[in-house]
Amino acid sequence: MRNPWAQTGNYRTSYVQDTTIFANYREIVSLVLLLVALCILPMFLERSQVLVLNFILIYIIAVLGLNITTGYAGLISVGQAAFMGVGAYTVALSAPSLPFWLTVPLGGFAAAIIGFIVGIPSLRVKHLYLALATLAFQEIFVWVVGRSPALAQGAAIPVEMRNFLGLEISFRNHNYFWYYVILFVLVLVVIAWRNLLRGKYGRALIAVRDNDRAADAMGMDPGRTKLMAFALGAFYGGVAGGLLAYMQRAVVVEEFTLGRSVALLAMAIVGGLGTVVGSILGPAFIEFLRLYVERLSEWMKSNAFIQSITPAGVDVASALLPLSFGLVIVLFLVFEPRGLYNWWRLVRSYFRTWPFKY
Amino acid sequence: MKRAMVLATVALLGLAMAQGRTVNLLWSGAVTGPTSDVGGPYGAGIEDYCRYANEQKLIPNVTLNCSVRDDQYQNPNTQRIFEEALDRAKPAIYLGYSTGAMLQLKPLINEVKMPTIPASAHIGLIEPPNNQYMFLPVSSYSEQVVALMEYINRTSKNAKIALVVNPSPFGRAVVDHARRAAQRLGQTIVDVREVGGGNLDNTALLRALDAAGVEFIIHQNVAGPVANILKDAKRLGLDKKIKQMGAVYTGGADLIRLAGDAAEGYLWASSYYTLDENAPGINLQKQLAAKYNRGADILNSTNYTAGMLAAAIAVEAMKRAAQRFNGRIDNETVYQALIGMNGPNAFRPGFAVSTKAGIEIDFTRSEQTGAEGLRVLEARGGKFVPVTEPFTSTLFRQVRNP
Repeated sequence: MRNPWAQTGNYRTSYVQDTTIFANYREIVSLVLLLVALCILPMFLERSQVLVLNFILIYIIAVLGLNITTGYAGLISVGQAAFMGVGAYTVALSAPSLPFWLTVPLGGFAAAIIGFIVGIPSLRVKHLYLALATLAFQEIFVWVVGRSPALAQGAAIPVEMRNFLGLEISFRNHNYFWYYVILFVLVLVVIAWRNLLRGKYGRALIAVRDNDRAADAMGMDPGRTKLMAFALGAFYGGVAGGLLAYMQRAVVVEEFTLGRSVALLAMAIVGGLGTVVGSILGPAFIEFLRLYVERLSEWMKSNAFIQSITPAGVDVASALLPLSFGLVIVLFLVFEPRGLYNWWRLVRSYFRTWPFKY
Repeated sequence: MKRAMVLATVALLGLAMAQGRTVNLLWSGAVTGPTSDVGGPYGAGIEDYCRYANEQKLIPNVTLNCSVRDDQYQNPNTQRIFEEALDRAKPAIYLGYSTGAMLQLKPLINEVKMPTIPASAHIGLIEPPNNQYMFLPVSSYSEQVVALMEYINRTSKNAKIALVVNPSPFGRAVVDHARRAAQRLGQTIVDVREVGGGNLDNTALLRALDAAGVEFIIHQNVAGPVANILKDAKRLGLDKKIKQMGAVYTGGADLIRLAGDAAEGYLWASSYYTLDENAPGINLQKQLAAKYNRGADILNSTNYTAGMLAAAIAVEAMKRAAQRFNGRIDNETVYQALIGMNGPNAFRPGFAVSTKAGIEIDFTRSEQTGAEGLRVLEARGGKFVPVTEPFTSTLFRQVRNP
C-alpha cells in the first residue's frame, strides 16, 4: 500500500475517492496547521495590522463568490461590489434588532435573491453582453441607494455591536474579535465551496461554462445552473458585505461602487480564476502590493535624492500606485493568465515530487 | 562612581528636555485618485504649515511630526491609516478629508476621543450621533448653499432655482436644507440634478432647466463638472439667462483655469480670503509657497489655503493645550483647547474672513463650525472678487434643525 502521507501523484482509483474534499492526509494536516497559524497570528500583530488581515479575509469571501459566477460558471460579473452592498445594507437595517450571526446570513440571502434576479439576463446573453448587464446592476444599485432616504442616500448608516455573549467589544479588541468571526465564516464558506464543486451541481457549473448546449444535451439545465451560479456568487458577496459593515462600524455607498467590483475581478484574475487557492492569493497579493507600494511611494517622496532627479512637475511617487496596479494586472494577463494559483501549483508539485523533477 | 552616573543621567535628561519632545499630527487624504485636485494642494498646505510651525517653534519645546498620508480616496485606506497612527504614534489631533470616510470613521473617532478637523464640510459630521470630536474649519456646505439662496433673495424674489449636485453624500448633503430654506424664502427648487465627473455634454441638462424656467443654478460639486456646465451654458447662450453659483469646492482658481472665460459672472460662496487680498494668512501662504518651491497651481489653489487653515487651527490648539495643561499635548487637552477657542480666545490666523463680531475661527462644545463668516465672490476678469461683505447665514440656523 502506498504511503498516504507522501503521495507523489494522483492515485485515485474510485469515484468516491475522486469526490473527497481532501485528496490525502497531508492536505488535511497542512490545512489544520494553516488554521492554527491563522488563529495565533493576531497575537503577533498590531491592531491596525489585524485590520489589514480582516480586509483581506473579507475580500477572499467576495472573490470566492465571484469565482463561482465567473471562474466556474464562466459568467462575467462586474457587479460583485453591489452584491456586497446589498448584504451590507441588509445588515445595517437589521442590526438594531437582530444579532450578527443572523444578520450576516440574512445579508447573504438578500444578496442571493438579488443575484438570482440579476442572473436572469444570463439566460439570453453571454460574454461581454452579460458583463454589461451586471455593470448595469452595479450602477442601478449605487443609483438606488443614492436616492433612498431609508438608506441615508449613501451617507453612513452606523452598524455598531458593543457586546457579544458578555464580551465587551471596544476599539481595543474590535479588530481581533472580527478577525476570528471572519476567519470562522471564511472556513465555513470555503468548505461549502469545495463541497459544492465536488458534487453534481458543481460539475454542472463547469459543464455549462465549457459548452452549455452540450451540457443541455447531457440532461443538465443550463438556465437553472446559471441562475444558481449568480445566486451563490451573490450570497458570498452579501456575506462579505455584511462582515465589512460590522468591521467598518458603518455602511457608506462609496465602498460598493464599480471601482470595488473591478478590483475584486482583478483579485480573482491575479489569483487565478476558478480556484480556492487563487481566491486567497489574489486578494492577499493585491492588498500587500497596495501596502508596500504605498510605503515605497512615501519613501520616494521623503528621499531628497529621488526628488532631486525627478523632473519638475512630475510626481512619480504619487503615480506609482495606480501605475503598479495597472502593470501587475496587464503582466498577469500576458504572462500568467492562470494567476498566482499556477505558481502555487508548481511550487507544490516541486515539493511533492522532490527529489525528482515535477 | 555612583555620583558620576547620577550626574550623567540628570545631564542627559536635561538635554532631552531642552531639545523638547515630539507631538504627532496626522492628515490622510486623496493625494492621488478621485478629488486629488483638491487633496493635493490641501495636503501641501498642511505639510508647509507644519514645516513653518517647526521652523518658527510655534509650540515651544515641541517638534511637530506631521504625517501626511495618501489614502487614494479609499475608505479602507483611511481607516487603516488612522488606526495605524493610533497604534504607533498616537496623534494629538487628526486632520481628515473625504465625506464618506469621515462619516464612516465617526463612531471610532468618538470612541477614541480624537479631535478631528476634516476637509469635508458635510453637516452630518457635526450632527449627532458621535459628533463630539468633529470640528469643521469653515461653514458647512449646507450653510454655504443657504447663504447663496439668501443672497439671491436680496435681488430676486420668488426665484426659481435648480440644484446641481455631485452624485455622492458630499453632493447630496445640501438638498434638504436648501429645500427648507427655499420654503422660507418663497423660492422654488425646480429641479435637483446629480452630475459627476465626465459630464462632457450638458446640453440636455441646461435645455431642460431653461425650459422649466430656472433662473439660478446652485452647484454643490467639485470644479471640473461645474466648469463643463459653464462652458456649455456659454455655448448655448444661456450664460446670461441663467445665473450660476456654488459652494466652496466649486470655485476658485481651479474653476477659472478649467472654464476659462465661461466662468465670468459665476458666483462663489467662500470663507477664505483670495490671493489678491492683503490678509496675514494669505501673505503667509505666498511666503511659504515661495520658500518651499510650490508651483503656481498649488499657490493659487484655495485648497492650499484650506489645508493651511486646518493645520493652523490644529497647531494653535496644541500650543494652547501646552499652555493650559503644563505642557501636556494629547487628544484630551487639544480637545479642551479647541472648545475653548472662542470669545476673547477666538483664533485669527487671517486665512478666512471674520464675522461682524470680528471673529474668524471659534469653537465651543456645541458649535463645531470654525469660520462662520463667508462672502459671495464673482468671477471677473479671470479672478474672483468679493461682491458682498462677510456675513453669516441667519436662515441656516433656522432650517438646520427645524
